[in-house]
Amino acid sequence: MQACGVGKVFREGDREFPVLAEVWLDLAVGEIVSLEGRSGSGKTTLLSILGCILTPTTGQVTVEGRLADTARPQVLAAIRRRSIGFIFQQFNLFQALTCIENVEYALNLKGYKGGAAHREAWRVIEAVGLADHADFLPRDISGGQKQRVAIARALAGRSPVLLADEPTANLDSVTASGILQLFRQLVRQEGRALLIVTHDHQVRTIADRTLFIQDGHLRNGQPE
Amino acid sequence: MEYNILSLPNPFPKISPLVNFARKLLLHDKPRFILSVMGVAFAVSLVLLQIGLFMGILDNASITIDHLEADLWVTSKNTPNIDFAHTFPETYLQRVRSVPGVGRADNLIIWYMLIALPTGSQETVLVYAMEDFARWHFPWLVAEGDLRDLRRGRYFFMDDSASKRFGPFAVGEHREIVEHRLKIMGRTREAISFTTSPVVFMDYRIAQALDPNTLSGRTTYVIVKLEPGADIEAVRAELRRRLPYNDIHTKAEWREISRDYWVTSTGIGLNMFLSAFLGALVGVVIVAQTLYASTMAHLREFGVIKAIGGSNADCYNILAQQAVIAALMGYAGGYLLAQAMVPAVAQMDLKLIITQQLSAAVFAGTLLLCLAAALFSFRSIASLDPALVFRG
Repeated sequence: MQACGVGKVFREGDREFPVLAEVWLDLAVGEIVSLEGRSGSGKTTLLSILGCILTPTTGQVTVEGRLADTARPQVLAAIRRRSIGFIFQQFNLFQALTCIENVEYALNLKGYKGGAAHREAWRVIEAVGLADHADFLPRDISGGQKQRVAIARALAGRSPVLLADEPTANLDSVTASGILQLFRQLVRQEGRALLIVTHDHQVRTIADRTLFIQDGHLRNGQPE
Repeated sequence: MEYNILSLPNPFPKISPLVNFARKLLLHDKPRFILSVMGVAFAVSLVLLQIGLFMGILDNASITIDHLEADLWVTSKNTPNIDFAHTFPETYLQRVRSVPGVGRADNLIIWYMLIALPTGSQETVLVYAMEDFARWHFPWLVAEGDLRDLRRGRYFFMDDSASKRFGPFAVGEHREIVEHRLKIMGRTREAISFTTSPVVFMDYRIAQALDPNTLSGRTTYVIVKLEPGADIEAVRAELRRRLPYNDIHTKAEWREISRDYWVTSTGIGLNMFLSAFLGALVGVVIVAQTLYASTMAHLREFGVIKAIGGSNADCYNILAQQAVIAALMGYAGGYLLAQAMVPAVAQMDLKLIITQQLSAAVFAGTLLLCLAAALFSFRSIASLDPALVFRG
């Protein structure tokens, strides 16, 4: 995944609010990148743009060598479906579906049907260590287990890019540590690229690189 | 702790084509789902009851036409329906009988007369009078008595439905009709008038004798049975030529004229339409409201669907499936409720007619209206920004 000179300006009437300026970013297979910054620094906006949910004002995003054509929402949706897995701070699981169904339904949306979807769902549910809880509803499992389901959902379908938004924010430190170790193992094992937007310094322990964003500008190393 | 991705066996080898998110979402929110189904069931039962009762009442307006074996009806000009007859000379019968293709023809008097009850009160009865009822297999349901007795004197048959209005009666008792004492010789069933006046059957000449000023030498209808193979239109054309001051209707036409009179000339048709419309409207509003509330409650989940690559069509599909499920279950409930009302309605001497065509039409309407109700939620989905999934 590449972000080339990505900038974002929100407009409200005649007023403009620049959020991102000239962001350049490469994310390679097998790499874990931690993106840190204060609240309001533009982290989530950058994540949304990289995830082809939000369109940049300037610059462009390339995923698996394909240009994210911001003028065509269906192209962006197709890229999200095919190439990107999301992990959210709030887990965002489907409350009416069991753990395995949460994954299977996401696979259905990606075009996997029947036995293929079921086998792939089991593969990732087992990968995150939730085989024993596969038929539990989200309300009946812990926060850490919910996040594992969310990770399984993101992994399912072999999307090469995983984007995680504050994945440990709602977890205690022990559970958060377990989730981060799982991230490291799965990214290496499955050959994915992972960008984690976080406030949690623990993430640095598994990251290959740590980036900081301040006032819309991306920097390597410590913030100023 | 390390996890081996491929080593664990699959303990639940079930295979399903797709996860039915729509159904699971409905069942996850049972109170709302039950309310939605109940709303549809209520609307369906209301529509079925309204139209079924209306059809039952209309059935009374043509029940004798349906059961008489007449192919053609000769009526006086502009007779509005079978119960409101006008007289014309009974000798026209000879002109009818002389037309080629007519197998048999008879005069039929249908006329309101006063009956005195044992209580001293007077009521109205609708008299059906013919020379030979048995030849026309009419009335069609004789509970007691022999129709041939009617030709032997001042006798009459009365329909069982009269007992509710006139009190109990029995064969062998006497009643005064237009101040003439007549003996009850039999009882019939299902012979009902739209006007609710009880129906009695008596000999043609006796009826004329009871009201000589109006009926002497006159009839109200000539009913015609064609010879096998006769061309009904040719016979009708000839009858029109010979009876230019009468109307000649086929059985189907006369049936429709008699029914349409009550639909168009009274408020009953409009009343039925409005009730059915309101019933359908209530159903649509309830389904639309519950689907909309459900969509709003799960907006974040729809946002997730869009964020992970699902399209608006995927979301619409969920809402449409939910609408169809509500329609199917609501229709089943409403249909069963309406069917359960049939015996209760019969206790009130009313008929609830739910035909296959009506059931199919209401089913199609339920499905369409529930899908239309889902459209309200489509708008919220269309404008939904998937970026909301990143908000706390």
